[in-house]
Amino acid sequence: MDAIIQLIHVSKWHNRKAALSDVTLEIEKGEFVLLMGASGAGKSTLLRMLIGEEQPDEGQIFVHGRNVTKIRPTEIPYLRRKVGAVFQDFRLLPKKSIFDNVALPLIVQGASEKDIRRKVTEALRAVDVDHKKDQLPNSLSTGEQQRVCIARAIVNGPVVLLADEPTGNLDPERTREIMELFKLINARGTTVIVATHDLHVLNHVNRRVITLVQGVLLSERRIGQGVGV
Amino acid sequence: MRRLFYLVREAWANMRINRTTTIVAVLTTAFTLACVGIFLLLYVNLRNAAGSLQEDVKVMVYLEDRLPGKAMQELERKLRTDRMVDGLLFISKEQALGEFRVQFPSESHLLEGLGENPLPASFVVTLASSFRSPDAMKGWVERVQTMEGVAKVDYNQEWLSLLAELIGYIELAAIGVGILLSAAAVTIIGNTIRLALLGRREEIEILRSIGATRTFIRIPYFLEGAVLGACGSALSLGILKFAFELFRQQIQLTGRFSGIEGMISFFPLSVCLALIMVGMGLGFAGSVVSLLRVGEGRP
Repeated sequence: MDAIIQLIHVSKWHNRKAALSDVTLEIEKGEFVLLMGASGAGKSTLLRMLIGEEQPDEGQIFVHGRNVTKIRPTEIPYLRRKVGAVFQDFRLLPKKSIFDNVALPLIVQGASEKDIRRKVTEALRAVDVDHKKDQLPNSLSTGEQQRVCIARAIVNGPVVLLADEPTGNLDPERTREIMELFKLINARGTTVIVATHDLHVLNHVNRRVITLVQGVLLSERRIGQGVGV
Repeated sequence: MRRLFYLVREAWANMRINRTTTIVAVLTTAFTLACVGIFLLLYVNLRNAAGSLQEDVKVMVYLEDRLPGKAMQELERKLRTDRMVDGLLFISKEQALGEFRVQFPSESHLLEGLGENPLPASFVVTLASSFRSPDAMKGWVERVQTMEGVAKVDYNQEWLSLLAELIGYIELAAIGVGILLSAAAVTIIGNTIRLALLGRREEIEILRSIGATRTFIRIPYFLEGAVLGACGSALSLGILKFAFELFRQQIQLTGRFSGIEGMISFFPLSVCLALIMVGMGLGFAGSVVSLLRVGEGRP
């Protein structure tokens, strides 16, 4: 299997406190990984480093063959187009329709009108909110808003999907639905990394689990067999 | 196409959301640029006036009394063949007296007591247009004054030099005021863009996270700055035109300075368009300054 993400002895300090301490790990193409840990364990820092929002103080990070620690600032947007991101607070533009929110990554890339229409419709259908495409985000429930956020993250076919506490604002039933959605996306070949402190998520995902405690990679275990759903 | 539409729409949305700030920015920019425009208008009109006055300038070459006919003919030949001379008109003593009586009928009795006609004969010289600068005229006058048979050479040298000096000062003032107030316009527009940037910080973060380049994020703000600058500049021209027409109307009504009415004019269309472009450029510069200051658009 090819490693799509590699962290080699990565350390990061925030105000002299270790956010990540000598973390080394590999994530293979098509894997579904749960990044577990309490608040402040370093999960978000790790995810931010994967999209070039932060740089490690030590170590090397490779994403899809690119050394993120040596990437030029002008190349970072192109890296982010290959790595979709889902956030706990959804980060949707409140004054734009669902369709326009999901279309944004394609507009940014200069996709054609025809492609935008087709891909956005497909993405909205995949997350089952296509019937609400003309509405504004605030008129949707939190679960639906998270689905829209996922649609925006997958609309341009990223190789990796990162989700930072995607179920933090959701009830158990919506949590289950969102995790099922991630499994579906993973089944289509996208590498999925979900960072969460919610142990209930483990009930829905039986794959590789990486646990971070105060910036240290504490344990790594695989639940179930193989890769994919 | 959709990308272009998106960028234009975002710039428009920025202006609409911060409507009050946008209006205040356009108005203050307009008044600032109108101040620059006043100096520019004054400068352009004075230059034009100086140009047309210089075209009318005639040099009077007064001849010595009782100059023999042969000497007069020789002087006329010399003047006619001078490359700086465009036209020459001889005024005899009798013609000079006749003109004096026509122009000053109430004072003509003053000359009658003198017996003999005291007015000298003269040549009225029109210089070629390329030799009408104050320096060229001064040089020519000094040369002619030494010619045989010439009593005096007269032209409005002091007046023309003063006008040239005044134009020079206004030019300097226009440049100084222009630089200062242009910097003010850049700051005003820059602050407006800065407010827009701060108000949309979250949106910019989202754009960055989905792979928008620095240029893509910045374009709506550049557009906004350019539009604000162009609107401010266009409005300043409107204010100036209004003030200019008001001034012209006052001249017509009061009859004062009626001589300059035909000499003053507003900026031609090409200059108006150029000034709008300058406003656009200042607005763009304001955006650049504020984007650099806020440090937005970093990856």
